[in-house]
Amino acid sequence: MTQTGEMVFHPRPGAGAAREWTFPAPERSVLGNGLAVLRVDRPGQKVVAVELVLDSPLAAEPTECEGVATIMARAFTEGTDRMGAEEFAAELESCGATIDTDADHPGVRVALDVPASRLERALGLLADAVRAPAFPAAEVDRLVRQRLDEIVHEMASPPRRAAFALNATLFDDAVRLSRPRAGTAESVARVDRAAVWDFFTAHVRPSTATLVVVGDFAGVDVTGVLERTIGTWSGSAAEPSRPGPVVADDHARVVIVHRAGSVQTQLLVGRIGPGREDASWPALTIGTYCLGGTLTSRLDRVLREEKGYTYGVRAANQSLPNGSLLAIHGSVETDVTGPAVADLVTVLRTLAAEGLTDGERDAAVQSIVGVAPLKYVTPRAVCDSLADMAAERLPDGYLPELYLKLADVATKDAAEAASGGFDPARLVAVLVGDADKIREPLEALDLGPVTVVE
Amino acid sequence: MAAVAAVTLQERTDGLMAGPATASLGFTATTHTLGNGLRVVLSEDHVDPVAAVCLWYDVGSRHERPGRTGLAHLFEHLMFQGSANVHGNEHFEFVQSAGGSLNGTTSFERTNYFETMPAHQVELALWLEADRMGGLLQALTEESLDNQRDVVKNERRQRYDNVPYGTAWERLVAMAFPEGHPYHHMPIGSMADLDATSLEDCRAFFRTYYAPNNAVLAIVGDVDPEQTLAWVEKYFGTIPAHDGKPVPADGALAPVIGAELRETVHEEVPSPALMAAYRMPADGTRGADAADIALTVLGEGESSRLNTRLVRHDELAVYAGVGLMRLSGTASVAMLDVKASGSGAVSAIDAALAEEFTRFAEEGPTPAELERAQAQLERAYLDTMATVGGRADELCRYATLFGDANLAFTALDRLLDITAEEVRAVAAERLVPDNRAVLVYEPTDDADENEEQVA
Repeated sequence: MTQTGEMVFHPRPGAGAAREWTFPAPERSVLGNGLAVLRVDRPGQKVVAVELVLDSPLAAEPTECEGVATIMARAFTEGTDRMGAEEFAAELESCGATIDTDADHPGVRVALDVPASRLERALGLLADAVRAPAFPAAEVDRLVRQRLDEIVHEMASPPRRAAFALNATLFDDAVRLSRPRAGTAESVARVDRAAVWDFFTAHVRPSTATLVVVGDFAGVDVTGVLERTIGTWSGSAAEPSRPGPVVADDHARVVIVHRAGSVQTQLLVGRIGPGREDASWPALTIGTYCLGGTLTSRLDRVLREEKGYTYGVRAANQSLPNGSLLAIHGSVETDVTGPAVADLVTVLRTLAAEGLTDGERDAAVQSIVGVAPLKYVTPRAVCDSLADMAAERLPDGYLPELYLKLADVATKDAAEAASGGFDPARLVAVLVGDADKIREPLEALDLGPVTVVE
Repeated sequence: MAAVAAVTLQERTDGLMAGPATASLGFTATTHTLGNGLRVVLSEDHVDPVAAVCLWYDVGSRHERPGRTGLAHLFEHLMFQGSANVHGNEHFEFVQSAGGSLNGTTSFERTNYFETMPAHQVELALWLEADRMGGLLQALTEESLDNQRDVVKNERRQRYDNVPYGTAWERLVAMAFPEGHPYHHMPIGSMADLDATSLEDCRAFFRTYYAPNNAVLAIVGDVDPEQTLAWVEKYFGTIPAHDGKPVPADGALAPVIGAELRETVHEEVPSPALMAAYRMPADGTRGADAADIALTVLGEGESSRLNTRLVRHDELAVYAGVGLMRLSGTASVAMLDVKASGSGAVSAIDAALAEEFTRFAEEGPTPAELERAQAQLERAYLDTMATVGGRADELCRYATLFGDANLAFTALDRLLDITAEEVRAVAAERLVPDNRAVLVYEPTDDADENEEQVA
């Protein structure tokens, strides 16, 4: 083949006719043991996603052994009344399944992914893990030692280090949010089998839990499978937990976490904002996207695409058990840390002064709302979102309604929510980097008192 | 370009091309070739109103010349900076405003670009890809090069230079593939070479590699194949082909390194570590599939041998795993990663690893281990194929590297066909001390400083 002729260019094509898409709506039921079930059918999908949402919030951990929820979550797969830890792991993996556990502020989550053909076998294992965990003392002690080793690695990770420092600075010492989710070295060291057992018996029961199942269930008696497995789990009744208030001090200040020799500075700028229950949440979501949702949003338009200071800076509104955390995060080259933070603040001030354009609002709405059919293709994606909503005790119809509201957000409301939320006068800025190089440039920006911690 | 690809194919996939493709997931794909040599793969799936457009260019870091490492990846960034009829960041803006998602990635062997779209917006993605395949140079400027060079250097800092153990794989790859070998350097490239790259280097790179006859385009999802092919012909059909691509440097290597290579790094890292790279059979062979299973048994999952021994029993490690990086133009690489626990010493880790690898090479997997590994690999395969984007990427991969897109649908069958003896044999041949490059990390700081809590 040789180079011949010239390419014929054509005008940009428009869209075809959109096919209707409806939000994957869950069907709610309750098993005989009181466990709430949310089920969504995703035809054609070969892997089933399951998630058990437990009402065991981190705020319920005894202060002296914070991290016990994490150790309990990990110890679920360390053996049951039917098999030892290693046998359990082998059995699970022979199903081609994985179980991942996570302990976050609203509660512990246990996620199972398994090819549909081996669903009942794997659900039996998940059921055993919460129905009759053995929590062997030796395995719990080993998990504690491992967790202590992990903390050393987390402290060396700039994004993790920044998150720990922001939480410790922003939130009042009295609230659980101020301390690491998986505990500190001091508190984790106090966790033992007895602590795990106490936490388990106090907070883990079917009547306050929700199970989300998503997959292709053609020809499967889902209720029968669930009753034979997770339906055999029993427990006493209890009132659902109530999240406490979020207490934070977001007066503007700067904390530098010194990390000698860093070639980049990790930025994490945050404060608290309104939660999902607030009428401004959809506008805040659109406004936050306009500010820092993608590389064509305001922050990256300057910091990345104009200045080349960063590989990417993002803004996010992250729901908390009460309210939200509003945050801007990313990393910038050490030598330009001062100018980059100055530009960040200028972007926020410009947003407050001039608002957003209709074009920006439209692009954000079309992206966030339009991407939903893509976002919710896999059972795991649908399951994760529904589990998030269940953990926050939102109604089953919350997500489809949210999308309708997002599509309706006015430009002015998005601008007000974002500029009010990301008010430069109320931001706590954490920078993990080389204090010897970045301290002076940051002090010169006058963003509030600057402190350096090791 | 066809002749070179065909020779590679015969060497690497002998025996694999035979027989008709089966559609084990219920999907099929058809392949069409335009007059300019662009190969087009179509696969229908009408369950959801979504479709993926994926374009693989047969160019990666292995095609870079000395002194210009990182060019293929830097160029990938420039592909998002506008083209003949697309200004500035409009590629991103148009796709995201249409409810789509997009990105591009660069590896040793290829550069890929992909858009997942609501099905009624597929034509837009095709127009965008065609505009930059044929018209990138009309928009390429010194300003966008300088800007994206800085962005890429920050990407390198963020992912490699500012992270504990961040340059480990770069160091290991450089040890496993000797100086001068096309896979000796990573796609991210060096800071010095990124700085040295000129606008003319970028133009020459585009003219050499970004040709329709050096690419595969896959469209997967809720599309009408006839209409889609007509759009492809309309937008891509007049882009001129060209044959300027040089024969890539030969990636052939001895099956084993020959003697253990070992380096020790003294850095501020949270714990000692032992990481290693082993040469493994090239992708597209039964040996690579056998290696995938061997490494899964040894180092993937809670019940793997390394986790059981090093993390659970001996508590020498906080993490111990090994996995396969498949490469088709040279040896694949087994990547071993062990991070020491607070009580684990590298010498003890090394001794335990030697025992486990030796025992595995002698005994091979147990029937239960083989079943578990195959079940895990099956789930991973089903996850990859669960989305239109995942399928489009796999179709491009098999079409670009092995000449037949439909091999994507039979990849699982080939993995499930591997016997315990093949698994043992590949371990005995490859997972041996004289076939490994070893990188040991020893922390420079005392542990106290790292264990400190943030007040």
